Amino acid sequence: MQQFYDFKINKIKNLSSEEKILRKKNLELFYLNGFPSKKDEDWKFTDLNFILGQNFTNIVNTELIPDEKPFNPINEFEHNFIYLVNGKLISKNFDHEEKDKILISNFDYKNEIILYRENTLNFLNNALAKDGFSLEISKNYKFKKPLVIYNYFSNSLKETIVNNKNLIILNENSELTLINFVDNNSKENFIINTIDDIKLKKNSSLKSIFINNSKNNAYFYKYLKNDLEKNSNLENYILSSGLKLNKFDIEVNHNAEYSSSNIFSALNLSNYEHQEIKTLINHNTPNCQSYQKIKNVLNNESKGVFQGKIFVKNIAQKTDAYQLSRALILDDKAEFNAKPELEIYADDVKCSHGSTSGSIDLESIHYLKSRGIPEKEAYQMLINGFLCEVLEKLNENNLKKFLLKKLESQIHGY
Amino acid sequence: MKTEDLKNTQDYKYGFTTNIENIRAPKGLNEETIKFISNIKKEPEWMLDWRLKAFKRLQVLKEPNWQKPKYPNINYQDLYYYSAPKSTSEKPKSLEEIDPKILETYKKLGIPLVEQKRLNGIAVDAVFDSVSVATTFKDELTKQGIIFCSISEAIQKHPELVKKYLGSVIPLSDHYFATLNSAVFTDGSFVYIPPNTKCPMELSTYFRINASETGQFERTLIIADKGSYVSYLEGCTAPMRDENQLHAANVELIALDDAEIKYSTVQNWYPGDEKGVGGIYNFVTKRGACRGKNSKISWTQVETGSAITWKYPSCILQGDNSVGEFYSIAITNNFQKADTGTKMIHLGKNTKSKIISKGISAGNADNMYRGLVDIKNKAINSRNYTQCDSLLMGNKCGAHTIPYIKNNNSTSIIEHEATTTKINEEQLYYCNQRGLDQEEAVSLIVNGFCKEVLQQLPMEFAVEAQKLVAISLEGSVG
Repeated sequence: MQQFYDFKINKIKNLSSEEKILRKKNLELFYLNGFPSKKDEDWKFTDLNFILGQNFTNIVNTELIPDEKPFNPINEFEHNFIYLVNGKLISKNFDHEEKDKILISNFDYKNEIILYRENTLNFLNNALAKDGFSLEISKNYKFKKPLVIYNYFSNSLKETIVNNKNLIILNENSELTLINFVDNNSKENFIINTIDDIKLKKNSSLKSIFINNSKNNAYFYKYLKNDLEKNSNLENYILSSGLKLNKFDIEVNHNAEYSSSNIFSALNLSNYEHQEIKTLINHNTPNCQSYQKIKNVLNNESKGVFQGKIFVKNIAQKTDAYQLSRALILDDKAEFNAKPELEIYADDVKCSHGSTSGSIDLESIHYLKSRGIPEKEAYQMLINGFLCEVLEKLNENNLKKFLLKKLESQIHGY
Repeated sequence: MKTEDLKNTQDYKYGFTTNIENIRAPKGLNEETIKFISNIKKEPEWMLDWRLKAFKRLQVLKEPNWQKPKYPNINYQDLYYYSAPKSTSEKPKSLEEIDPKILETYKKLGIPLVEQKRLNGIAVDAVFDSVSVATTFKDELTKQGIIFCSISEAIQKHPELVKKYLGSVIPLSDHYFATLNSAVFTDGSFVYIPPNTKCPMELSTYFRINASETGQFERTLIIADKGSYVSYLEGCTAPMRDENQLHAANVELIALDDAEIKYSTVQNWYPGDEKGVGGIYNFVTKRGACRGKNSKISWTQVETGSAITWKYPSCILQGDNSVGEFYSIAITNNFQKADTGTKMIHLGKNTKSKIISKGISAGNADNMYRGLVDIKNKAINSRNYTQCDSLLMGNKCGAHTIPYIKNNNSTSIIEHEATTTKINEEQLYYCNQRGLDQEEAVSLIVNGFCKEVLQQLPMEFAVEAQKLVAISLEGSVG
C-alpha cells in the first residue's frame, strides 16, 4: 500500500532545539512501524492502518487557524465550561466556583515530552502534539457544578491529524465531575490523537463522562492514563457513539490502597461505526476495587470491540475486580469482538469476568407486542433498558436526565 | 550395539524387525533425515513427497513466540529424529533402579507391578499380559471392520484413507511445530470407524504396546465415518519417563455425518524437578473437524505433567447442527507452565460449542487459559457457552485468562464467564473439623472444583484421574 501520510516536525512553531530532537526521535519511532495494524495484538480487531488507508489519501499535520465559532451551550443543567477548538484552549468560565482554587492553562510541552512505550500512536502524539490544557484543582476543593469541556473541530481539518495532550490533577480531597462534550458538524474526515494524563491524589474523586452530540466523519484515538492514590475514586462513563472510528485506550493504575475505579460504557452504533474500548487495570496494591461494565448495541454494519485486561500483582491481595461486556447484535453484518483478559498473581482475590453477545430476546418482544406495543417501539424500549442501566450509579439528577435524553435520542436515531 | 543384545528384546514382537533395532538416523534436520525415516518405514513415494513438501515449507516458517511460557532455544540440528526402540541392555534392569519418588506415586495410583515395569521400559517376560489382551481386542475390532493400527501400517495398508484425510485438518503449512511434525513424524495411531458402527470398546494407545516408544513426533489420525461412534483414550495417569525433551505431536480428528468422536487425554509427562530443572516441552497440535451434519467432537483433557504444556485442541464446526465440546483440567505446580485452551470455529448453521476449563496453579507455576470462539457470519443460530475457572494456591503462582470472542451474526449467542479464586478457608476448616487432614481436604475440594470435567472421562480413567489430581498438588497447601 502506498504511504498515505506525511508528517513534518518543522510545521510546529516555537520549538527549542532540545524539543525538536526529542520530537524527531519520537517521529522516527512512529515511522518504524507506521499506524498499528491487526498484526499488533492490541489492534487485533481494529486494523487502523487498513482503515485509514481506505479513507484517507494523504494525512498531514498542519498549523491550524482556529475559527472561533460560538458553540451551543447545554441548557439542561448549570455548569462551568472550557471551550476547545481543534484541541486549543479558547475560553473558560468558572463562574460557579472559587476561582483561586482552580489552575487552568495551556498544556506545557517544555517538560512533558518523553518516550512512551505503549504504542506507535503515542510516539506520534509525542512527536506532533501541541495545544491541549492542564487543569489542577486545589486541596480540599469540591466543584459545586460539573465542568463541561466543549470540543469543537473546524471544517478546515480535512485530511489532517490533530495531536494534543491534556493534564488533569485532582489534589487531596478534591472532587470534580467532567463532561467531555464533542460537538462537531463537520463532514470532513480527520484524525484526533489525544493523551490525557489524569492524577488522582489521596481521597479525591473524579467522574468523567464522554459524549458526542452528532454523527461525523472523525477518527478518534484517546489514551487515558489514570494514576490513583490512596482512597481515590474514578468513574468513567463512555457514551460516545456517532464517530466513524473511536478507540479508547484506558490505563488505570491502582497505586495505593483502597482506591477504586469504574468504567461504564453504553454505545449504540450504526452505519459503519467502529468503536473499541481497551482497558488495562493494574492492581499494584492490596484492597483496591475495579469494576467495568461495557454495553454495546450494534446496528447495520457496525463493529464493537472490547479488549479488557485486569492485572493483579502478587502483593495485591484482597483485590476485587470485575469486568462485564455485553452486546446486542441487531444486524447480520454487525460484529462484536471481545477479549476479556485476566492476569493474576495473587491468590486472595475476587476476580471475574463475563462476556455475552447475541440478539435481542424475541420472547420479550413478543410479550410487549402482546400488550399492544408496536414492534419498533418494543425494540427501542428493550434497547433503552439495556443501555441506560449503566447510568444507574450516577447520582447528579439533572446531569443524569440530560444523559438519558441523549442516549434515547441516539436509540431513536438522530 | 551388539546383535546379541537384540535377541531378547520385547520390542521385536511389536512389529519392529531386528535389523532396525539399533538404527538411528544421523543427527540433524535435513532432507536426508526425512528420506531415512521414510525409507526405514518402507513408505510409498507419495508419503515421502508429502514429508519433503512439509520440510520445504518449514524452511520459511518461524517458531512462534507469542505464547506466555518462554523456553530456551531448541537446536533442531542437534536432535535425533529417528531412533529405534532401545534394546534391553540400555534399559533399567529392575524397579530398584527407578527413582523411589516415582514408585511412590505408582503405589498411590494403584498401578500393577507389571504395568509399572512397562512404563519405565523395563524388559518384562516374553508373555506379557496386555499383549494377549490386545490381540483379543484386535480380533473383535476387525470383525466390525474397524481399523485400528499404527499410522505407519495404515500408510501401507490403507493408503487411500490416509491420502484422503492426512493433513486435511492440520494442513502442511499450518504452523512451525505442526509442519515439523508433518516432515518427521515417526509413528502414531490410525483409527477408521466404518459407517453406522459403534466402536464396542474404548480405544486406547494403552493397548498398542509400541506406543510408549513413539513419543516425540507422534501423529494420530481418527476418522469416524457416517453414523459411527468412537471413544479414544490417550496417555495414562502414571508418570511417564521420557528422554526426549520436545514433544510435537499432531492429532487430527474427522467426524462425518452423524458421527461422534470422544477424545480423552491424560497427560502426565515428567514435569521437571521441584526447582524447575528439566521436564518435557509438550507442544501439541490437536484439531478436529466436524465435517458432516449432526456430527460431534468432544475433547477432554487432564494435564498434570510436562514442564511446559502448550496446546489448544480445537473444533472446526463445518457441518450444520454439529457440536464441539472441550473439557479441561490443567494443574501446574512448582515451576510448571501451561498455556492451553481451545478454538471453536463455527461455520455451519445451528452449531453449538461448550467449553469448560479448570485451571489450578500452585507453587511458582503459571497457568493460562487461551481460547477462541469465532462465530462466522453464515453460522446462524449458533451457540457457545464458555466457563473458565482458576484456582490459585499461594501468591507466587499465576492464573491467566485470555479468551478471544468473535460474534459475526445477529442470531447467535455467546456466553463467557471466568472466575479466579483461592480455596475457600471455610470449606477447609469444615473438612478439618470433620477429621480430614489438610491434604485430604484440599484433594476433596479440588476434586469438587474439577468435577464437571472429571465426569466426562471414561470410567476407567476417571478414578485414576481423581487420585492424580490429588497427587499433583501434594505439599502445595499448608
